[in-house]
Amino acid sequence: MSLRQLLKRLTYFGASGPPRRPLDTISSVVSWRGQSSRSPAHWNQVVSEAEKIVGYPTSFMSLRCLLSDELSNIALQVRKLVGTRHPLLTTARGFVHDSQNNLQLRGLVVLLISKAAGPSRVKASCQNYDMVSGIYSCQRSLAEITELIHTALLVHRGIVNINELQSSDGPLKDMQFGNKIAILSGDFLLANACNGLALLQNTKVVELLASALMDLVQGVYHENSTSAKENCITDDIGISTWKEQTFLSHGALLAKSCQAAMELAKHDAEVQDMAFQYGKHMAMSHKINSDLQPFIKEKTSDSLTLNLNSAPVVLHQEFLGRDLWIKQIGEAQEKGKLDYAKLRETIKAGKGVTSAIDLCRYHGNKALEALESFPPSEARTALENIVFAVTRFS
Amino acid sequence: MASCCRRWLRGCSWRPAAPSPGPGSPGCTGPCGPRAAAAAVAGAQMSCFNLVKSLRSAFPNMYSISRFHHTTPAVCCYSKTRSGEKYTDPFKLGWRDLKGLYEDIRKELFISTTELKEMSEYYFDGKGKAFRPIIVVLMARACNIHHNNSRDVQASQRTIALIAEMIHTASLVHDDVIDDASSRRGKHTVNKIWGEKKAVLAGDLILSAASIALARIGNTTVISILTQVIEDLVRGEFLQLGSKENENERFAHYLEKTFKKTASLIANSCKAVSVLGCPDPAVHEIAYQYGKNVGIAFQLIDDVLDFTSCSNQMGKPTSADLKLGLATGPVLFACQQFPEMNAMIMRRFSLPGDVDRARQYVLQSNGVQQTTYLAQRYCHEAIREISKLRPSPERDALIQLSEIVLTRDK
Repeated sequence: MSLRQLLKRLTYFGASGPPRRPLDTISSVVSWRGQSSRSPAHWNQVVSEAEKIVGYPTSFMSLRCLLSDELSNIALQVRKLVGTRHPLLTTARGFVHDSQNNLQLRGLVVLLISKAAGPSRVKASCQNYDMVSGIYSCQRSLAEITELIHTALLVHRGIVNINELQSSDGPLKDMQFGNKIAILSGDFLLANACNGLALLQNTKVVELLASALMDLVQGVYHENSTSAKENCITDDIGISTWKEQTFLSHGALLAKSCQAAMELAKHDAEVQDMAFQYGKHMAMSHKINSDLQPFIKEKTSDSLTLNLNSAPVVLHQEFLGRDLWIKQIGEAQEKGKLDYAKLRETIKAGKGVTSAIDLCRYHGNKALEALESFPPSEARTALENIVFAVTRFS
Repeated sequence: MASCCRRWLRGCSWRPAAPSPGPGSPGCTGPCGPRAAAAAVAGAQMSCFNLVKSLRSAFPNMYSISRFHHTTPAVCCYSKTRSGEKYTDPFKLGWRDLKGLYEDIRKELFISTTELKEMSEYYFDGKGKAFRPIIVVLMARACNIHHNNSRDVQASQRTIALIAEMIHTASLVHDDVIDDASSRRGKHTVNKIWGEKKAVLAGDLILSAASIALARIGNTTVISILTQVIEDLVRGEFLQLGSKENENERFAHYLEKTFKKTASLIANSCKAVSVLGCPDPAVHEIAYQYGKNVGIAFQLIDDVLDFTSCSNQMGKPTSADLKLGLATGPVLFACQQFPEMNAMIMRRFSLPGDVDRARQYVLQSNGVQQTTYLAQRYCHEAIREISKLRPSPERDALIQLSEIVLTRDK
């Protein structure tokens, strides 16, 4: 059975029940639940337009290597996890479940910015590269590598700490096996990324992406540390620290990939920097938008837990001061259990949400500014549309 | 013709009673001294030499044989004329270039996140033997001297030594999580102290730091060579997950896994430094073959020691590989004598009592001896290859090292 068929089957199993962690590995990082409840189609439209511009759908980009590799037998191994509560299953299911919303955002952006920049003004030194739909094959390869790195860490996020397991998590050996497969799959994806990088024959690009990986690892580390805290109380961090950590976990990979795409086409340092800025700010506003979803949707599902280290909450805490915030958390607790719906209302009543919206728009504008230095084109418009989609809150 | 010659060579070192590296000889770095070591090596080669001398008249085109024997006398003479402790111990010789190895690795791991940094630096404490970096720098010098008598090691070659150690360590950190190991090198594993989630991230961090260092060397060929290692390491682990039903396939599977998990790193690191030091593709191939053969021998002996070391030293066996369900060399050989082991191998020693029974079978059989003999053959091949390079202290140290691989007892 191919991995694709396996993943489709997974959506029907649903055996593992609701995610046991407050943060679904996917939803915190990538999944895009639609711009707002009033225009869910808008984002899809933006993305499908973009895909036409770059020439093909970018879903499953990173999984191609898994699909075509018989030696690794990853599909077979993941199948053994069905029925367990290991997070890897949730991650795998997320690939199919969210495919309509196009999970593979980074790859698409890299392709678009490659097309928007076009060939270098400097004497074309990559004439031996073939260009399809205005994008060099090495840039397409880079887009795939970006997704591979992202997916690898997505999978590695799903490792569980054995000594934190409870009996409700099921048999120990299932979790250990799940960990094993998660580590190996993640490593496999990283190995493929490294091989892909080597084939590009450009040491600067290798360095950029390797440093992006290092940033991403640190970013994931911070995420893990916060979500593991008892009672999920917000870290005592201000918004500037939050921005630094979010850059590491969300912005660095896209920013450096965009820059690398420019390097592959031999664009000069200025163009590379503009691409970097677009990638960075677009990723930031995307993350903030994602953080805002629980607070701006009309119908709130009460069972949804809040990420207390998301932008609105961190801002809320910063306005109130830590002590008052801790007090509010205490007030929202009933018999030691946090009433998220109540807490949500408390936060909405404060200034956190509005200033998060402002911050999102700030980054969106910076992204648009960076785009101004690129010549007008379909691809540039698509990149602008992505920013508009991400900063719309009406 | 070549295979005929190999059979002769095999013939002379096959007898288990008289293998060339005896328990106390070559590679013994203490008071034994270089002369005993050289004499033992020479003695072993002499018996081959006589056999082969008669071969040479029959097969005048045995070029590789005659070259082999031109170089071995040089080994003996060389050690005698250049007396002095510093040339007797390959580790000491190698360490001259590796001073500050661990500090430099820690510099590559320079990040702001304190705990993550601590975890990543955990194994770079200077306590390891740095086997791989030593081979790398010795090979670098041997190749440089061979090429143009240069007595320098390029900075990029030294960086390869760092990168090899980092890649190796990153894979160890992940392997420990996969195997749920609790101790390594005499201390607790990263996963036991900080948990599995963070341990995996630490491994990823070390790998990314190694990749950055690799990119900064600025040589795309070297990048291609070493990224192959990363893929091989992962594939090796996957090979370990699966198993082959067919007995014949099992051995090939085992050797392939051994290459990917252990030898590939050493082989490709050697090749990388040779690429940096010398433009001749023949030299790159020599370096690669040396690394590959030494690497496989190293792992084979490791698998033997899993059965033999503890019963000598600690009086209590650990059989770590059996407990992980792995059928290594000694087990596979033993299975040829005791077919009852097949069922245990196929179920990966999962039933209670399997591990002990398998161990007994192995110790009763000649599995250990056969695996050791196989390791010897790989070592001889390594020596044969490296002897093609111009004589130098480093080249001789590499020859010695491959013998040390055979005689170590952990």
